Amino acid sequence: MTDPLVSLFVVAAALVLVAVLFWPSTGLAWRWRRGLAATDRVEVEDALKHLWDGEYRQRPATLESLAGALGLSGRAAAELVDRLGRLDLLHHDDSTLRLTPDGRRDALRIIRIHRLWERYLADETGLDAREWHAHAEHREHGTSDQQAEALAATLGYPRFDPHGDPIPMASGEVPPHQGMPLTQLPVDQAAEIVHIEDEPEAVFAQIAAAGLVPGMRVRVLDRSPQRIRVEAEADEVVLAPVVAANVTVVTIEGPADVTSATRLSALSLGESADVVALATSCRGAQRRRLLDLGLVPGTRVTSELRGPSGDPTAYRIRGALIALRRDQASHIFVHKHAEVSA
Amino acid sequence: MSHPSPDACGACPAHNLANLKKLGVDMTGHDYVVALAGNPNTGKSTVFNALTGLRQHTGNWPGKTVTRAEGAFASGDKRYKLVDLPGTYSLLSSSLDEEVARDFLLFGQPDVTVVVVDATCLERNLNLVLQVLEITNRAVVCLNLMDEARRRGIEVDARRLARDLGVRVVATAARYDEGLPELMQAIAEVARGEVSGAPHKVGERSPALQRAVVRLSAAVLELHPQLPNAQWVALRLLDGDERIQVALRAGELGDLIQATDPSAASVVPSPPSDPDADAVDAAVNAVIELASQLRWQVGSEFHQSLMEAVYTEAARIADRAVTRVEGGRRFDLDRALDNLVTSRLWGVPLMLLLLTGVFWLTIAGANVPSKMLATLLIDWTVPALRSGAAAIGAPWWLSGFVIDGMYLATAWVVSVMLPPMAIFFPLFTLLEDFGYLPRVAFNLDRTFRRAGAHGKQALTMAMGWGCNAAGVVAARIIESPRERLIAIITNNFAICNGRWPTQILVATIFVGGAVPAHWAGLISALAVVGVAVFGVILTFATSWLLSRTLLRGEVSAFSLELPPYRPPRVLATLYTSLIDRTLYVLWRAVVFALPAGAVIWLVSNIPYGDASLAAAIVQWLQPFGVVLGLSGVILLAYIVAIPANEIVVPTILMLTVLVTGAPGVGEGAGVMFELDSTTDTAAVLRAGGWTLLTAVSLMLFSLVHNPCSTTIYTIWKETRSVKWTTVSALLPLVMGFLLCFVVAQAWRLVAS
Repeated sequence: MTDPLVSLFVVAAALVLVAVLFWPSTGLAWRWRRGLAATDRVEVEDALKHLWDGEYRQRPATLESLAGALGLSGRAAAELVDRLGRLDLLHHDDSTLRLTPDGRRDALRIIRIHRLWERYLADETGLDAREWHAHAEHREHGTSDQQAEALAATLGYPRFDPHGDPIPMASGEVPPHQGMPLTQLPVDQAAEIVHIEDEPEAVFAQIAAAGLVPGMRVRVLDRSPQRIRVEAEADEVVLAPVVAANVTVVTIEGPADVTSATRLSALSLGESADVVALATSCRGAQRRRLLDLGLVPGTRVTSELRGPSGDPTAYRIRGALIALRRDQASHIFVHKHAEVSA
Repeated sequence: MSHPSPDACGACPAHNLANLKKLGVDMTGHDYVVALAGNPNTGKSTVFNALTGLRQHTGNWPGKTVTRAEGAFASGDKRYKLVDLPGTYSLLSSSLDEEVARDFLLFGQPDVTVVVVDATCLERNLNLVLQVLEITNRAVVCLNLMDEARRRGIEVDARRLARDLGVRVVATAARYDEGLPELMQAIAEVARGEVSGAPHKVGERSPALQRAVVRLSAAVLELHPQLPNAQWVALRLLDGDERIQVALRAGELGDLIQATDPSAASVVPSPPSDPDADAVDAAVNAVIELASQLRWQVGSEFHQSLMEAVYTEAARIADRAVTRVEGGRRFDLDRALDNLVTSRLWGVPLMLLLLTGVFWLTIAGANVPSKMLATLLIDWTVPALRSGAAAIGAPWWLSGFVIDGMYLATAWVVSVMLPPMAIFFPLFTLLEDFGYLPRVAFNLDRTFRRAGAHGKQALTMAMGWGCNAAGVVAARIIESPRERLIAIITNNFAICNGRWPTQILVATIFVGGAVPAHWAGLISALAVVGVAVFGVILTFATSWLLSRTLLRGEVSAFSLELPPYRPPRVLATLYTSLIDRTLYVLWRAVVFALPAGAVIWLVSNIPYGDASLAAAIVQWLQPFGVVLGLSGVILLAYIVAIPANEIVVPTILMLTVLVTGAPGVGEGAGVMFELDSTTDTAAVLRAGGWTLLTAVSLMLFSLVHNPCSTTIYTIWKETRSVKWTTVSALLPLVMGFLLCFVVAQAWRLVAS
């Protein structure tokens, strides 16, 4: 019988090795596989995406921006540009890079697939918003046109991805670019967020942390060179201009509603309120569930019962007693009534 | 062009025969076709049966795997064919059921559509009604389950509802045949064409959206000038509805005209004839092109806002029609009970008390019946069977294989499994019926949320302490996919009824035997409880880990309803829990125990070398077993006892005797047995080389090993996924190996 210490050590080492290799997403085995997949074609497609995006947003791509976006050295980026030129996918005159019609067509194809995947990940899985882009990146290069078509059919041929960007149709059709950066929105003008730039990741994370999502109604309260104060649904958010520039909005008619509403989670026991709306950030299965429970505008909700640990709280909704967790209740905007005695 | 009168057109049996035939409905001998729609669980089948009696048959929708029931009934001097559409919550999503229902309504153009709604949750059911009304106004709303509503103190003003919706509303309680004559009369009236004006439409849109709808419906009207629901078609096109687009291209939309307004039938333009084909095609393409452009403008939230508009409208109408008579005293009692049960002070103690009570009743109550069953099925029957086999001259291996192997294992499983389950399940179901269990989930949700799971997992765990297979089935109460999978995969860490005897026996002999006699009872009891608590801790830890890694991408949507308290119906509960849970699990267990018994007997009796196959395997497994703190005998016992944990101890005893060759003990090779006295059992085991470490390792391994085959099979049936079934089977096993390994090595390290 081997010395127990030795066997413990051996097994522990084996476990650590397995963890390092196979830990979901960050394991070495997966990284190696991703590295293998980063072939020439993948690089070309990623470059096309960047170029098209710049063209669409009227911020034409340059060698520097390409290198930055793809994480390449200057020399590698230049080689890539040469290769794209030889494939007749771009023109390289003076300092800007421009797509040829062939390049545009290929770019639209890969962007369509990428955005369809993001839509799928947002609607059909429980993944966090910050993970959609990365997961879509893994899958898009291996998806054929037929698979993309099948994916679109399953999702009901959506027109927009979860960031608010249009999904190019199979024909390559795409609507003209709309909207202005949040930094250009006049004070007190109601607007709706139509797009949130998902790169660079750090900036996107800040925007996500501020709770901003496409479809949300916003209003600029005041603006200074250091910061912009924005009212977004029932919250007040302060953003640095460089962060706000990555949020695109279009002006809307009418007031930016949901401004003075409370969140359901703020209701004390025994209080009643009427539902105004569900937060835009509440999506997919969560949102459908809340709607199914009857939390539509106009419904009366009373907070009735709280568990011994303070969460969840049970609310009386149309005669039924439904328990909701605090994070769910915070997605529901309401107007309070006067306090109802229990 | 001569035009038939509107009434005759609607009443003509030749109307739309071709389409109906395509949808599989044969109208010979019938005058009208009636479609029956509604949400699932509204008593739709009761209405169907009540109307058609025995005159019905089932089949499939042509070309699809969706089943359909068809029947007929007569009223007045007319004969009606009744087509049961699949139960659906809406017509707007892309599930197969909804597609079938919608296609039939659109292209089958039934003369009458009856929508069955549940009077106790009207607003949820009105979604479907409003969507149906957007397609056709030849509808009748059957307000069913009025008896349930009355019982719950819910009053529905059918007249108000009829006014708001613009169609006839008939209140029924189909289970008691209430309201059926009125329903048939309403159906007859609508079939004759006595429809009032235009039905309710969902309105209220944003200005931008309204502009898009107006523009598109104008274009659609140019194509089909008589189309009365052009706005609906425009909305469907804007929503990206493929089916409508296909219909537009195929020219089928012209048929929709008659579905809504019989008076329009008189001025139907003839279908586009050939010379105009190109122009028509171009016009159709123009409409589709316009829809495509407008789809970019209506924004990403269009589909959602459509659905929500319908929901909001349904809620508004329901609010006006429904009054809840808060049953005064009963409501207050509910409130008082809830305040007690979820209070900071009493909530958790009450839970623990009830749970302990249930367990104690189960264990104490099952003792005697188990012994009685064992005496009956084994002590009396087996010798009888053996002598019977000898009498007919059966060879020893046949009688051994069948009686000592298959029958014995099955009888063992039944006698050990049945009594505890017959007590545990009814008790549990009583609590469930009473309405207490959701409150338990409510109290514990916070803890489970931190582990990435759902409060209701407490209930599936509790169920798992009875039987893991039942616990897995119970996971159906968790609708959220991620939490449900977590509950299923971790259910195995709840020690089921079949494992309690093993734990108690081993603890009594070895743990109790290691301490002074007057402490023995208490310490061994604590040991068993300790293992159970460890199981709970493992459940939380594994749930947390799963939610962060393997199950990260699964969808999660929490909801928990606290239904009103109900006096439990004891007899009905006993009946359903016996049939649904007890017998069902028992049946599965028997199915798996038979082969297990066969294998046990075979392995012990097939010669290998100069001993049996079993001895050889034990030898081979011994080194691995020792590393884990167990032994080859234990490992083999667990392998052959995969079907049922109940037979682990008898198999261990049998194998020990087989391998050690102890004389005078046991009943022979391959025959499982148990000894009445604990001292005797202790002697056999010690002869087999057992120590305290073996006992501890066994207790841990019994807690953390693969689920029994009944459970694995149940997991497969519930998840329909090979991936998750494999994970559920292998994860606990791997964890068990690691755990026993670490404990054994650490023990030896400390002891040396």
